[in-house]
Amino acid sequence: MDMAIDYVTMMEFSGHSTATTDEFDGGCRDWSDWSPVLDWDAVPGSGLGGFDDLLASLLEDGTGPDQPHLPPQWVDSPPSVHTVANDKEGDETDGHDFKGLRLVHLLMAAGEALSSEGENRELARVILVRLKELVSPASGGCGTNMERLAAHFTDALQGLLEGAGAVAQGGGKHSIGGRPHRLEGGYNQTDVLVAFQLLQDMSPYVKFGHFTANQAILEAVGHERRVHVVDYDIMEGVQWASLMQALVSQDGGRPAPHLRITAVSRACSGRRSITTVQETGRRLAAYAKSVGQPFSFHQYRMDPDETFRPAALKLVQGEALFFNCMLHLPHSTYHTPASIASFLSGARALSPTLVTLVEEEAGPAGGGGGFMGRFMDSLHHYSAVYDSLEAGFPMPDWARALVEKVFLGPRIAGSLVRMYRGRPGEEEEEEGSGKGGSWGEWLVAEGFKPGRVSSSNHCQAKLLVGLFDDGYRVEEVAGNRLVLGWKSRRLLSASIWTASSDPDSLN
Amino acid sequence: MFHPKKPSGMNSHERGMCVQGDSGLVLTTDPKPRLRWTVELHERFVDAVTQLGGPDKATPKTIMRVMGVKGLTLYHLKSHLQKFRLGKQPHKEFNDHSIKDASALELQRSSASSSAMIGRSMNEMQMEVQRRLHEQLEVQRHLQLRIEAQGKYMQAMLEKACQTLAGESMVLHNSSGAGYHNHKTPSNMPNPMNSIGGGAPFVKDFGSSSPLNFPSFQDLNIYGGADQLDLHPNLDRPSLSLDSYHLPSNNNSSHDNSGFGKKRPSPFVTGGSGKNPLLWSADDLPEHGHDQIHTPEMVDSISVDIYEAKPPPALTGGGGGDEQKPLKPHRHDDHLFQQAG
Repeated sequence: MDMAIDYVTMMEFSGHSTATTDEFDGGCRDWSDWSPVLDWDAVPGSGLGGFDDLLASLLEDGTGPDQPHLPPQWVDSPPSVHTVANDKEGDETDGHDFKGLRLVHLLMAAGEALSSEGENRELARVILVRLKELVSPASGGCGTNMERLAAHFTDALQGLLEGAGAVAQGGGKHSIGGRPHRLEGGYNQTDVLVAFQLLQDMSPYVKFGHFTANQAILEAVGHERRVHVVDYDIMEGVQWASLMQALVSQDGGRPAPHLRITAVSRACSGRRSITTVQETGRRLAAYAKSVGQPFSFHQYRMDPDETFRPAALKLVQGEALFFNCMLHLPHSTYHTPASIASFLSGARALSPTLVTLVEEEAGPAGGGGGFMGRFMDSLHHYSAVYDSLEAGFPMPDWARALVEKVFLGPRIAGSLVRMYRGRPGEEEEEEGSGKGGSWGEWLVAEGFKPGRVSSSNHCQAKLLVGLFDDGYRVEEVAGNRLVLGWKSRRLLSASIWTASSDPDSLN
Repeated sequence: MFHPKKPSGMNSHERGMCVQGDSGLVLTTDPKPRLRWTVELHERFVDAVTQLGGPDKATPKTIMRVMGVKGLTLYHLKSHLQKFRLGKQPHKEFNDHSIKDASALELQRSSASSSAMIGRSMNEMQMEVQRRLHEQLEVQRHLQLRIEAQGKYMQAMLEKACQTLAGESMVLHNSSGAGYHNHKTPSNMPNPMNSIGGGAPFVKDFGSSSPLNFPSFQDLNIYGGADQLDLHPNLDRPSLSLDSYHLPSNNNSSHDNSGFGKKRPSPFVTGGSGKNPLLWSADDLPEHGHDQIHTPEMVDSISVDIYEAKPPPALTGGGGGDEQKPLKPHRHDDHLFQQAG
């Protein structure tokens, strides 16, 4: 298969690049000799005209029915230029815009090569080498958003190439040498903690999910005396600090209801876990004591098969029951669909007062579209996230780089692995492949009823994101959902549900 | 001469006639006395309604009880509540309501054609605006508190990690010299511990002596100034100053830094701290292990950077005010909570 790559334009922008000019020239010249597969000398045309040809040739094999859709943000308003690392002449911006687009093309080409029927791994390997050259200046924190994002995607694709298991271990080439490791993957617990703090400072994602759920819970608690929250993935527990604060400071000086939290724990917690469930429990208890919140903490240990058994849960007469399910916050770990489904089904069996769910908002194509469709969707999603992190407020480069390295990179890698495995013909076990939709849709299908997002909740969310940047927006969808988005891209959805007490009902 | 008498058609359904006597007083022959809904009274009303779960759940009787205002009758509350419900959701249908309120609804929607009609619609609109402002202010206030709560929790977690790391690094330092404090990162990432040591710029402290001061909230300018954004009166929050840091009175630490047990009062720890968290101010770390947590210069420079830029909205207490924060390394002002036994 002949791939027409826009060789001339690559040479053009290589003059702009910072450190690798010579390598580009040398490298490019060698490639013609080295890889007979590619017709490097074919020049279909300069500028974006070459893109259509590239796309067309990419899709020759017709793997996916959909043309990968280039999100308008990449063509119209290209990724922002990082002034610290690159301040050169005025049309540097154009060079970078173009380079950003070029990276996208290459990523698409690599993804396509890997996922196409022939599994053209050789081609993919070549493209990835090229990509690595282009993005290597960007690792470690400099470079544009697109470059750093492309670096992570490149790593992820590289992992796919080498065998899906490798990339899931995380980190890899971006690890900083010499550090004492406590967890594998090149970063340790302290890095994770710091990155988490930074993440909260630079973006509203975590607070949005937590506060929306908490507000709904608070409103539903009303005058109840006992509250019981079952948390699917309590992580470091910070969500409950603000709930406790709200419970003890209710208007009218009402005494706070007793709060009981049952944290679901699993045998193998994520390698990037910030802390253990027990520590979280202790911390929450300490905090509760400091604010005067009556509190108790329980741990529900799931079996290795991660089946949630409602009967094993300790319930108290007269308590208001809540199920809290934070799934796709930037720092969340991955859970299998089976595990999540089991938890939510268990929730329904117990007829809680409320189920709060926070999940990633899928792109317009939903979970379908084949590998390339999902790949592009993922690219679009994370590019919006990267842009949003940058626009948050001025942060040192290393701060953003740390967050990207610790959280986003592994997410991207893991999600690509799952997409790859979930291709038609491969094992259909992971998220998106069997389900294709969101958990909200699943809840509807399972008989959950939507709750209602109050105007206060909506108002709070808007105020919250307004603190960070005007590029964020909050939409209320279908009455029971708040969706946080960046510019035109929806990113995170927080929704409220109730369950009827009849588990056999299909309504 | 201006005739004070209002067109009877507008008043007849609930008020009596206004009659101007010879003395110039405006008397009413109302069977029901007129009540003026001042801003404060209305706020109390809204508070009560909110407490009771919203205008749909609240009844005049319960509102009256909650408000506890002398002279307020069920009649006042009934009509005010109906107006409030109207103002809240003009499209919503409501059951028990009389023709006169239906006509009020009509008035709201259709264009007013007489001055009195306009007056009434304005009143509704005014109430709606007031209600919305009130709600937004409430939400804003709660949001501040919740962000602060999260911040406290995170800070405690970071401090704990800080101290754990300090302990480890001491060991490492003593043994091999490898480890965090000696490591200069080859890439652009400095030691992340620099950022969290000593109450890092990203971690807030309560070094402000004024109420929570979010510049962003100031920008919202709802009430025209931060002064009005008082802390919730129920929160027992003393104003903290930079000087009131707390240190553990006796260190249960397994490391021997017991030499630093200075006693200072903490607003947040009640009673004697028999068991206390293993927290200390970064400056009191053992000297030899000092630099692995932060170097004061580094923290200073980071805090300068952060403060000259727009500060993180998650900052509490310290706010972002350049005018409030002297640029020195942060301290942990207080123990946020004791470790649970």
